[in-house]
Amino acid sequence: MATDSDGQTCVYKNTLLAGLWRENPVLRLLLGMCPTLAVTAAVKPAFTMGMCVVFVLVCSNVMVSLMRDKLKPHLRILMFTLTIATFVTIADLLLKAFQPDMSAALGPYVPLIIVNCIIIARAEACASKNPILLSIVDALSMGAGFTVALCVLAGIREVLGTGKFFEIQVMPKAFVPWAALSMPVGAFLALGFLLGLVTLITKKRS
Amino acid sequence: MRSIRHFFEQSWLLIVASFFFGLLIAVTNAALSPRIEQNRNSKLNELAGGLLPDATAFTPVAETIEIQALDGKQQKLAVYRATTGSQTVGWVFQVVGSGFADKIELVVAVDAAFTSLAGFDVLASNETPGFGDQIKYGYYRDQFKGAPTDGLTLVKSGDPATIDAQIVAITGATVSSTAVVRAMDHYLPQVKTQLQQKGLIGHGN
Repeated sequence: MATDSDGQTCVYKNTLLAGLWRENPVLRLLLGMCPTLAVTAAVKPAFTMGMCVVFVLVCSNVMVSLMRDKLKPHLRILMFTLTIATFVTIADLLLKAFQPDMSAALGPYVPLIIVNCIIIARAEACASKNPILLSIVDALSMGAGFTVALCVLAGIREVLGTGKFFEIQVMPKAFVPWAALSMPVGAFLALGFLLGLVTLITKKRS
Repeated sequence: MRSIRHFFEQSWLLIVASFFFGLLIAVTNAALSPRIEQNRNSKLNELAGGLLPDATAFTPVAETIEIQALDGKQQKLAVYRATTGSQTVGWVFQVVGSGFADKIELVVAVDAAFTSLAGFDVLASNETPGFGDQIKYGYYRDQFKGAPTDGLTLVKSGDPATIDAQIVAITGATVSSTAVVRAMDHYLPQVKTQLQQKGLIGHGN
């Protein structure tokens, strides 16, 4: 007979795995498309963006979960935006202080995390209804799913577009880089193929 | 009285959260701003070195250089003397323009006599990638190398390879191109006058 503890473990496990595949924000829910298309020309900025989103997701989910009982329904979106904007500003300052080159490379896309649908969606769907620990697990899961999706997309674009991976030459010298993949059009093409692949795998599984 | 009570009942969390988050940002900013400033100075030195490759040292000018910024406010400007040994090879300072999305911060280098530009580089900008951020690229920046420090004008068509006071705008990035030229035209004459007044460059230049 299943105990309450088993049920709780199952909930945490399901939440943790949801963001990585079943409810992956980029590949299944198609959220956060702006950074997905804009910062995936190389793995390094994509990974940095992913880490920034994880930081903001965890901090905003913690804050929203803490004040969930006090939230007025008609003011909740305002409170979410205020919370998210605060942590995005802090993430931007941290990046400027400790990773100035990445901060310059990501440019306006770090402040634009404020309007990233993933974060406000998790605040609304999970953190405003669940206790703090589950909200943290949800944030880590969704953040990891977002980061992995960005890095996979960036990896494809960087390897085929420049012959490098994480700025290290991996393709033979004879390889002619597909420059289009490093350009904005390459982001749409690579994302389209990746989404098609994910849909194919899902259909085969079901 | 009831309406005030209703207001506080509805919005107390918002008010408290605003103060708390404001404080959090202020504390973080205070803690990190020295390091951010240090990073900016390192980048400024690095960019200045690229603009004046002959220079071996960049020393801040001891005299106070006060100019009027684009927004009309008086500001103290840090001007660096670029030297090779004891010889002055140029001057470096920062100018701020008003770009499409945000401020554009540029590092500008001029020759020792303050007659022609040695070039500029972008210290910070949030211009649209693929459009306004083209001001960072050589095909726009190279037009400024050797251009006069007085009376730069922006033109929509022309030969960018010709070095003169006419700067050819980037197609699709007119606002950003204009911002750079406007910032130069605003800052350069003021800095030149100040340096002349302080006796750091000759009046005949």
